[in-house]
Amino acid sequence: MTYEVPEDRRYVATHEWVEDRDGIVRIGITDFAQDELGDIVFVELPQVDDELEAEEAFGVIESIKAVSDLYAPVGGTVTDVNETVMDQPELVNEDPFGDGWMIEIEPTAADAVDELLSAAEYEDQLE
Amino acid sequence: MIYDQARWRRTEEPVYEPLSAEKAERTVDLDDRDVPLPDELTRDEVTLPRLSEPELARHYTRLSQMTYGVDSGPYPLGSCTMKYNPKFTEDVAADPAGLIHPHRGDETTQGTLELCGRLQDYLARIGGMDAVTLQPPAGAAGEFTGIRIAANYHDHRGESHRDEVIVPDTAHGTNFASAALAGYDVIELPSGDDGRIDLSALEAATSDRTAALMLTNPNTLGLFERDIETIAATVHDAGGLLYYDGANLNALLGRARPGDMGFDIMHYNVHKTFATPHGGGGPGAGPVGVTEDLQPFLPTPHIRETGDGFETYEPAQSIGKVHGFCGNWLVLIKAFAYIARLGDPGLADTSAKAVLNANYLGSQLDMEIPHEPYHHEFVASAGDKDAAEVAKAMLDHGVHPPTTKWPDIVREALMTEPTESENRDTLDQLARAFNTVAAGDEDDFADAPRRTSARRIDQVAAARDVRLSWHDVEFE
Amino acid sequence: MAHETDGSPFTPHAPEETAAMLEAVGVQTEDELFDIPDAVAFDDSFGIDQRTEREIREECAELFGRNDELIEFLGRGHYGHYIPSVVDDVAGRSEFLTSYTQYQPEIAQGFLQALFEYQSMFVELTGLPVVNCSSYDAAAALGEAATMATRLRGVDGDRVLVPEAMVPGRRSVLENYLAGTDVSIEAYPFADGTVDVDGLRDQVDADTLFVYLENPTVYGTIEPAVVEVCELADDHDALATLGTDPVAMGLLAEPASQGVDVVIGDAASLGLPTSHGMGLGLFATRDTFLRQVPGRLVGATTDDDGRRAYTLTLQTREQHIRRERATSNICTNQAWVGLRTAMHLTWLGADGLVDLASECVELAAELAARLDEIEGVTAPVYEAHHFREFVARTDASAKSVADALVGAGYAVHVLDDDHLQMCVTELTADAIDGLVKAFEEATA
Repeated sequence: MTYEVPEDRRYVATHEWVEDRDGIVRIGITDFAQDELGDIVFVELPQVDDELEAEEAFGVIESIKAVSDLYAPVGGTVTDVNETVMDQPELVNEDPFGDGWMIEIEPTAADAVDELLSAAEYEDQLE
Repeated sequence: MIYDQARWRRTEEPVYEPLSAEKAERTVDLDDRDVPLPDELTRDEVTLPRLSEPELARHYTRLSQMTYGVDSGPYPLGSCTMKYNPKFTEDVAADPAGLIHPHRGDETTQGTLELCGRLQDYLARIGGMDAVTLQPPAGAAGEFTGIRIAANYHDHRGESHRDEVIVPDTAHGTNFASAALAGYDVIELPSGDDGRIDLSALEAATSDRTAALMLTNPNTLGLFERDIETIAATVHDAGGLLYYDGANLNALLGRARPGDMGFDIMHYNVHKTFATPHGGGGPGAGPVGVTEDLQPFLPTPHIRETGDGFETYEPAQSIGKVHGFCGNWLVLIKAFAYIARLGDPGLADTSAKAVLNANYLGSQLDMEIPHEPYHHEFVASAGDKDAAEVAKAMLDHGVHPPTTKWPDIVREALMTEPTESENRDTLDQLARAFNTVAAGDEDDFADAPRRTSARRIDQVAAARDVRLSWHDVEFE
Repeated sequence: MAHETDGSPFTPHAPEETAAMLEAVGVQTEDELFDIPDAVAFDDSFGIDQRTEREIREECAELFGRNDELIEFLGRGHYGHYIPSVVDDVAGRSEFLTSYTQYQPEIAQGFLQALFEYQSMFVELTGLPVVNCSSYDAAAALGEAATMATRLRGVDGDRVLVPEAMVPGRRSVLENYLAGTDVSIEAYPFADGTVDVDGLRDQVDADTLFVYLENPTVYGTIEPAVVEVCELADDHDALATLGTDPVAMGLLAEPASQGVDVVIGDAASLGLPTSHGMGLGLFATRDTFLRQVPGRLVGATTDDDGRRAYTLTLQTREQHIRRERATSNICTNQAWVGLRTAMHLTWLGADGLVDLASECVELAAELAARLDEIEGVTAPVYEAHHFREFVARTDASAKSVADALVGAGYAVHVLDDDHLQMCVTELTADAIDGLVKAFEEATA
């Protein structure tokens, strides 16, 4: 089975992706992660203005048989939360890199994203 | 074997047996009634189903037909010990003379207290324990009681700094949750390659922070922890206590006792080992046994024999209460009756046949069973197939499937416990069901089950759109 | 008769069958299958005699016969009502009794539907949309409610306030549930048998996590200040939890409309006879707390044929998935008792429930009035409406009165030197005359 790993973003070993959008980073889970979990039925996310440390658990994602914490790849302040995905958790399965995004953060350290895994490095890890 | 479960369905509406309220409802407006309380204290109205007794009897009879029990067929749900529940125990428990109020004085309830006293004594002998409380209403409640006893024991010795409970990765989820509920940090112990406790990992995990190790023996793979003496010494040397999860005691009746293995505290699952019916999820009972040193910490009231009868008393350092009254009394009566019916020879025969049945069934399966030698249960691997899908396919063969996908150290686990009450023919039928499904094409399983009261149920929709009462359902 | 063996009457193996199975496994004896080191093997006997079914029935009947035959005017948290035969008969069907947790919903639709109906009827009675199925008893449900409060967003603090007078045993169980947290439990005062609202107002503050109250109270009084107590809790972001009873809810104001966040109680006062305290923990709460609810939940969904069907849902809250982060450690619960309670409620229907609840008010008032006529007796002590039970004061020693009543065949509660408590239901209504007469003699 092959999984989609877009090259326009960075990754972490806990299967979150990070997309730099002009200084604000958007965070979601990877295609591999949604497939492992199966049908997502519930997503719990933080509130705007919450402060997150890098590697801190910021939310929870559930299928009917499994629960997984969501980890912040970089530290910062939450600037936006995808309310749609809380109402329609199936979006995470259908479009993990697009409409199924989770939160946006203004990172504390501007270059924090550069230190994360590249698409190629993450893909190696999946094998 | 093929089993077509009763399937009542309305051809004109997309329902099976309608809900009771869907058949007929009635609302009573309290303003229309001459009620003996002023308005400000009363509700406005009550709405409940309106079913005559004949309709009620038929409704629930149909629901029973749409439910599969041990009396329907084999039920090898691993770690749940779904054995035959002797009928006479129901009659014993229903005796009105035993149905007393918990607030009566000891002098007027000597019969009940003596039965409790005898059951405590039986359980203590079977487990090799010095004292037993009957109060915990289920196995998990027993675990919580046991860990609270351990906590109070450590506090009493000035060792309140002990804040960790060690639990093997193959343990029941309740162990983790009970220890956490009691305020402990849970240290998960990875199993060794052989599926047993890894002694060096245990050595590394124990310290002066260890309050207890919770252990199931035989473990959930059915393996006896052969190093139990070393395990006990490791935990005791670190100042911790050893807790026995009694879920798998059926394998050991008359063969080995937790007390002799060095366990300090244990619970008994009477709805497993002692054949009280599982009742669709409960009630069970989870009596807890302890060594002499821990007896003063037992919940209150405890029951003891005096010179001229039985009495309730509060143990000196009691943890207090773990049930509002005395526990699940009707269940405890049934356990007493069952143990008395078996006696020494029956108890020993129970473990012998439970272990024989598991081994015979295992020997007939075309599936890998990675961990041996197992006792009353084994964990087979569904290999490349999804264990949950295998279970759905098995439903069409007149058997209840095993416990699936747990413990996760076995790939696509099928945890199977046939119990002692099945005969060879039934075990052969069970093996055929396993093997037919194992040989089948998983693509065909998507359509299973076909013969049960309902077809494959959409659990994802149930979790996304949560509807917990008929108020959230459109009536037909 | 069932074949007699030297072993268990419930192992169906004929000797030749055992031999064939041993051969198939590749061993000579069952003993070889046990991988138990000699050092911990048990080779003694328990000294438990095997008896026949008939002997055990006689033995237990003889034991229970040693309980004094008393008419019980007892309550304080455990109540018996008349159980119709249809409940015993149909709930006793073996598919219900001998099944277990509905991990495979397709083969367990009937039980799931019965539990869904149980949840639905208590949604109706409490007005709260989430009811689990089930907790062990009222005390455990209270403990679960308090631990739930510690996990909730928007509810904070570290003080749990409970009435100074509450159903005995419940507080102790609550203390055990909270022993693993840094939350403290404090009692707030009663005045004249119900909540002292001013006293509570002085105690509740920003650090208050949880306020517990009961209606009816442990004294049987109907609490007039439920709304005020809930407002006090709400003002301080504390969870308001009400302990009540399924019969009482047939008459008393709907908890949700009074501002209650969680309802707990012993629902087995319908469904089970008096059974030495065995119960059924009712747990109902608001939608907001759905993900933090302890215990099992049955939800409606559909099956592959597009028909309505039922399944356990939101299981990720539970210990078998979430382990040490589960919302509770509960696994085996009181499902079969819930089935019985659902059947009993359905049998009563709305009219029957209102009638029974009214009878519980009327009978308590009648017995209190009759006792109050006796010289040296005041009943009820508290100026309030009562449900099922009430407190009486006696000039004579309460203990000596109670002992004399036992001598005459009646059991009542002794509260202290000069207070007794009595509970009366339709089951004891016919014994009121006798109790009053015995009371007259005991206090003369």
